[in-house]
Amino acid sequence: MKRTKRSLIVSFLPLLLLAGLACSSCASLPPAPADARIVIFHFNDVHGKIDNFAKVAAIVERERRQGGDVYLFCAGDNFTGNPIIDQYEPPGEPMLELLNRLGVDLLSPGNHEFDIGLDNLRRFAARTSFPFVSANIQAGADGFPQLKPYVELKTKSGVRIAVFGLIQIEAGNGLPSTHPDKVKGLRFSEPLQQALEMKALRSGNHVLLGLTHLGFDVDQKLAERMPELDAIIGGHSHTRVDPAEIINGVLVAQAGSDNRYLGRVELRVRNGSVAEKKGELIELKAQREEDPEVKAMIARFNQNPAFARVIAEAPFAIEGKDALGSLMTDAIRWAHGLDVAFQNQGGIRLNRLSEKITLKDIFTLDPFGNQVIEIVMSAEEIRSLVRDSFAKGDEIDLQVSGLSYLVRTDEQRRIQEILLRRPDGSPLPEEGKYKVGVSSYVASSYSFAHKDPGRALASTTADALIRFLESRPDLSLYRGIQRAFQDPPGRPGRY
Amino acid sequence: MNIKVNGREVEIFSGARVADVLRKYSRISWKQVQNGSKTVCDGLGHEIAHDGELNGGEALFVRMAGKRRAGK
Repeated sequence: MKRTKRSLIVSFLPLLLLAGLACSSCASLPPAPADARIVIFHFNDVHGKIDNFAKVAAIVERERRQGGDVYLFCAGDNFTGNPIIDQYEPPGEPMLELLNRLGVDLLSPGNHEFDIGLDNLRRFAARTSFPFVSANIQAGADGFPQLKPYVELKTKSGVRIAVFGLIQIEAGNGLPSTHPDKVKGLRFSEPLQQALEMKALRSGNHVLLGLTHLGFDVDQKLAERMPELDAIIGGHSHTRVDPAEIINGVLVAQAGSDNRYLGRVELRVRNGSVAEKKGELIELKAQREEDPEVKAMIARFNQNPAFARVIAEAPFAIEGKDALGSLMTDAIRWAHGLDVAFQNQGGIRLNRLSEKITLKDIFTLDPFGNQVIEIVMSAEEIRSLVRDSFAKGDEIDLQVSGLSYLVRTDEQRRIQEILLRRPDGSPLPEEGKYKVGVSSYVASSYSFAHKDPGRALASTTADALIRFLESRPDLSLYRGIQRAFQDPPGRPGRY
Repeated sequence: MNIKVNGREVEIFSGARVADVLRKYSRISWKQVQNGSKTVCDGLGHEIAHDGELNGGEALFVRMAGKRRAGK
């Protein structure tokens, strides 16, 4: 295969970056001021909850006005969790404008940064006024830029600070917890191993920090293995760490989630090294001062016009739990290439979708943000799920796609048999294994036999429905449709 | 993956969040956490949000709300 000059540069980029690390460690460390105070504000796992950013702006600005060395770090996961923001066009725009306006100095991407897709994230990163930093993400040749593994900051008072970033990866597939398609072309190395290569930064800087998206339990392990660190500012597990912990001499901080807290780490550098350190959380609910300009931006973003966008037009209103449940489960099955999908009736929060279906309708129909879970099941295990669901109220509870079922009961509504049929009406083969999609609610709260514990597919049931409707399916199917039956029939009008 | 809740092993799908594990652990505990009478913490007593993401092998503790760990 012919290798272009560009691909060679990309291939060697991690090596070049490590060479730079070696050079940095060789650099002679300039003398630090006798006494310096550094304040680092930090937040993580905002997940689109932007409303408190006006308070964050006011707090950070107040500290900056005092003239000291003040930084604002973001430990990842700005997206996914607030449909009004997540559905914005172009994707990520509210967070981009707000983080730039807040004056963020550094961002270590989390797994949910990738939820908006690599192209959108590349465009996002190109327009931020601050760098992304991550030592265990290696870019491929698909145009996504190689992120800096670390940055070196120099304070106004002359203190040199090195900060490296790290992102979590799953034990199973070695990828961050997002849909694998969203990180196609990127490679991820084991974060704790990668961190050890950052030790060299210690000798060229007065302060060494990790800005991580690993989870508080992994941050503790990092602190145990790397006492060269002065502090770890983390995210991912949504842990409210107040005050920050000192583990193996390393300060470990995390500021909860959903923009409820702003973290504040204070480092006192004396004679070239950190002599004192502490971290605390500021509860934003209790703060009164708000930056009026940021408040106005938030109000504008909360009026997301995309929410009124019509994403599909049906030839008639889709009505009733059977029709809506069939539509929702068809969407889950289609979006993830599954054999069967189930949806509990309690999770269908509308009785009617009008002909013009908007984004707002989807999040009213399915407001819970449940993830899609794939479980490989046998026919008998599927029967076990149907049995448990039926027993909850002695009536049909699960809508289905990819098969139909009949629950036969006696006069006391005790289950006598459950018949499973394929869409063509033939019995579901007993010996088969089926990829079954259910919501995270069903997977965790229904009692049913399944040898495969299952896996989250890094997508919500609402996302699946939006994608399905945008693919222009034949919506004329969803009139008078029924796939779940009971004999004798259930009470009329119950579903 | 496996998560320990109050010392009891809970096997759950990979990618599960705190709420998923608690629903599987005990419906009663989950209701208590939802109504605020109990909170979910890690081994050091730090509160974790219901939508907190988990790594396999982590340990969670459900305890009375407002109770501080010793020494804090």
